Amino acid sequence: MAREQYVKQLDLLRESIFSLGEIVELAFKDSMVAVIDLDVELAAKTLALEAEVNNLEEEIESSIFDILALQQPMASDLRLVVSALKITADLRRILGLSMNIAKIPGKIEGKHIKPLVDTKKMSDIATYMLENSLQAFKTQDVELARVAASRDEEVDMLFYAVWVELIEMMAKDTSIISKATYLLFLIRYIERIADHCCNICESVIYLATAEKIKLN
Amino acid sequence: MTKGVQNVSQVQIKVDNLNLWYGEKQALKNISMQIPKNSVTALIGPSGCGKSTFLRCLNRMNDLVKNCRIEGKISIEEKDIYGPDVDVVDLRKKVGMVFQKPNPFPMSIFDNVAYGPRIHGADRKDLDSIVEQALRSAAIWEETSDRLKSPALSLSGGQQQRLCIARTLAVKPRTILFDEPTSALDPISTARIEDLIMDLKKDYTIVIVTHNMQQAARISDYTGFFLMGKLIEFGQTRQIFQNPQEQSTEDYITGRFG
Ligand SMILES: Nc1ncnc2c1ncn2[C@@H]1O[C@H](COP(=O)(O)OP(=O)(O)OP(=O)(O)O)[C@@H](O)[C@H]1O
Ligand SMILES: [Mg+2]
Repeated sequence: MAREQYVKQLDLLRESIFSLGEIVELAFKDSMVAVIDLDVELAAKTLALEAEVNNLEEEIESSIFDILALQQPMASDLRLVVSALKITADLRRILGLSMNIAKIPGKIEGKHIKPLVDTKKMSDIATYMLENSLQAFKTQDVELARVAASRDEEVDMLFYAVWVELIEMMAKDTSIISKATYLLFLIRYIERIADHCCNICESVIYLATAEKIKLN
Repeated sequence: MTKGVQNVSQVQIKVDNLNLWYGEKQALKNISMQIPKNSVTALIGPSGCGKSTFLRCLNRMNDLVKNCRIEGKISIEEKDIYGPDVDVVDLRKKVGMVFQKPNPFPMSIFDNVAYGPRIHGADRKDLDSIVEQALRSAAIWEETSDRLKSPALSLSGGQQQRLCIARTLAVKPRTILFDEPTSALDPISTARIEDLIMDLKKDYTIVIVTHNMQQAARISDYTGFFLMGKLIEFGQTRQIFQNPQEQSTEDYITGRFG
């Protein structure tokens, strides 16, 4: 096959996105365990992942710029490079949000004001969306991307339910406002993560079909 | 199998089931294509796939080739160009051609451009303005206006190519065929000719053969991919370069071929 070097570069790019996806997945899952259990040690371990992601992100970006500048990718190669750039940005944002989540355990003293049942449900769905959007990228599975993105609605509904519940609790008992505010931030972060998963699904569909669609 | 361009507003060149043989060897196989008016259409494909052969069919240059046999139909502006009443000299006036290597005649810059109009009986007193206008349209007036009597061969390669374009424009064609017009030129001359081609499509229909994928992507509205004498895929350039429908097109434009 012609252009072996170039084909290798593209394979490498794909692999780096898989690796980035794995670390970001781990960061999100651990940050959620840390915040639910208020496990400060696990939270610290999670925060340490940021440096690794930054390096990987830089590597991916510079390889994308090299490919664009030096190889003039076309057709599905072009779509791969464009979606890799966008997916990297979405993964980077998911990591940033996970870091915000991992900072919460250090700020909450004592116990949570309530058991985080619906919040846990939200994060389970968001985790499902993240895993499967990345899986869809690996296998260029348009159907899986659509299914994964369709779960965003449930996340939004849970977000509003928990939001209302927390506002009501604060209205009744002002002493919990500080702790409740962190939980409001928390559900906001999870909701945003699910949105970024939808973006990844859109990129996967563009990669596989060249169609640009809005999924959320 | 060939994907056509749907809803083309105005068709300048319509090709139906074109087949061509050089002796025993079939060089074009069942080509059908509709080339829209006032647009740039790029033809791409590996060496020997029949691009130049196809281009030469459009102004009947293959008539000059011995043992060349053609079947099928080509209409330009709804007129069958292989019909019995066609004047080939008149056809070549309407369908001009620019080649890979600039080929100015060994005469002055002025006479190169005036050559065609003179043959076609232009009035002597009109020649100055015809020549100036053609040189201006070909973006080479600034560089030649003070040396029109100099030999054309004293120009640089890029200037010679623009002069050849001026020579083609001077006879007021309606379609211009370019066969790898920039393959012998440096990037700056290439960019000037690309700009010129995009500018010319206001008034002309342009078909260009190029081996430069980026060039096809930059300047054309439609792209046709040829392979072994067949037109594999034809469509909007935007679509062909982002999402070709045929695997062989994909392989060719991503450089995976061979
Ligand atoms: N005058 C001719 N006599 C016999 N065979 C010819 C003649 N001209 C072209 N051919 C053959 O027809 C086929 C198509 O040639 P053509 O020149 O159209 O290819 P092309 O796509 O323009 O290639 P390139 O990109 O190298 O210019 C080739 O196999 C070529 O050898
Ligand atoms: Mg040729």
